Amino acid sequence: MATDVSRATRFVLAVCLLGALLWLLAIFLAPVLQSRSFSRAAGFIYALFAPTCHQIPERCFVFCGHPLAVCGRCLGVYAGFLGGLLAYPFVRGFSQLRLPSPLSFLLLSIPIGLDAAGGILGIWASPIGIRFATGFLWGAILPFYFVTGLADLLMTRRSKSPPKDGGPDPDHPASGPVVEKRPVKGVE
Amino acid sequence: MNQQRPEYLGPALIGGVLAGFLSGIPYLNCLCCLWIIGGAILAAHTLVKRTDVTLTAGDGAIVGALTGIVAAVVDALMDIPLRAYNLEFARRLMEGLADLLDEMPAGWENWFDRGSEGLSAGMFLLGLFLSAVVFSILGVLGGIIGISLFGRKSAPPSPSAPPPPGTADAL
Repeated sequence: MATDVSRATRFVLAVCLLGALLWLLAIFLAPVLQSRSFSRAAGFIYALFAPTCHQIPERCFVFCGHPLAVCGRCLGVYAGFLGGLLAYPFVRGFSQLRLPSPLSFLLLSIPIGLDAAGGILGIWASPIGIRFATGFLWGAILPFYFVTGLADLLMTRRSKSPPKDGGPDPDHPASGPVVEKRPVKGVE
Repeated sequence: MNQQRPEYLGPALIGGVLAGFLSGIPYLNCLCCLWIIGGAILAAHTLVKRTDVTLTAGDGAIVGALTGIVAAVVDALMDIPLRAYNLEFARRLMEGLADLLDEMPAGWENWFDRGSEGLSAGMFLLGLFLSAVVFSILGVLGGIIGISLFGRKSAPPSPSAPPPPGTADAL
């Protein structure tokens, strides 16, 4: 079973790493394309990120003379997500599926929450570097949910799918005609 | 041992409609992806309240993904009546950008003229598809977070090996 956990976690982590790299690459690609007069391609990438970010130019880092495709806070979240993915094997390893404790999530959410709330309420306008930093902190914990959850889902699906020959799967004794929902979540 | 399957759709509708509505309102959408994650957390919370079975992180992922899809549909529908207002908002942003930057792409003023002519069905569906993909990813995240925050009903046995010495951490 530990081997299944390890295999599922490695697979999900690899896919997430690739996705996060492509995601960040696209964020930087938009201004590069814009600066080289590929306006339609740049516009497509800007439009791709529009549903998830306000893209207010004053709140975006500028690259090649043009704003990035997302604001500083969102860039921090995505960069933190990539950092969390890179840290995942060293912090969690591959042999366990455990979600972070609610306390650690709440603690890392406080800076971005205070920063955003202060901005919305008009108490302060934090500089873009602070927005990036608070976003990075929050984003860094997200892979510990995302990878764990998807690996859990992958294992559950595998155990539910019947073996090809119709008999019991030696690797997954729980699978077969009687499907058992395995409680694999372990919140610390 | 055969536990019943949780009912995902109801909680996903609640969280998705709320998240899509809030993320479609101008100014309120400045909270970026947080509405979707928040909606998925709400959906996970509702799922926990409505079911007696032990929920896993995978359940959170499923209800979160459904929440993201519902939110994308609601957001797209909200965009239809608010499209003119959103275009004006975007035009003001671009004008602000033009003041900040030396060079703007040629003909950028015409982008909004094209947009104000109406949205083709193809573009609407493409935008809906892209939003659904992005929102469902964010929803998966929110759903798993929600399960971790609210989902503990009993101490479930862990199928994985106990953490090896030295890997116990603050997370």
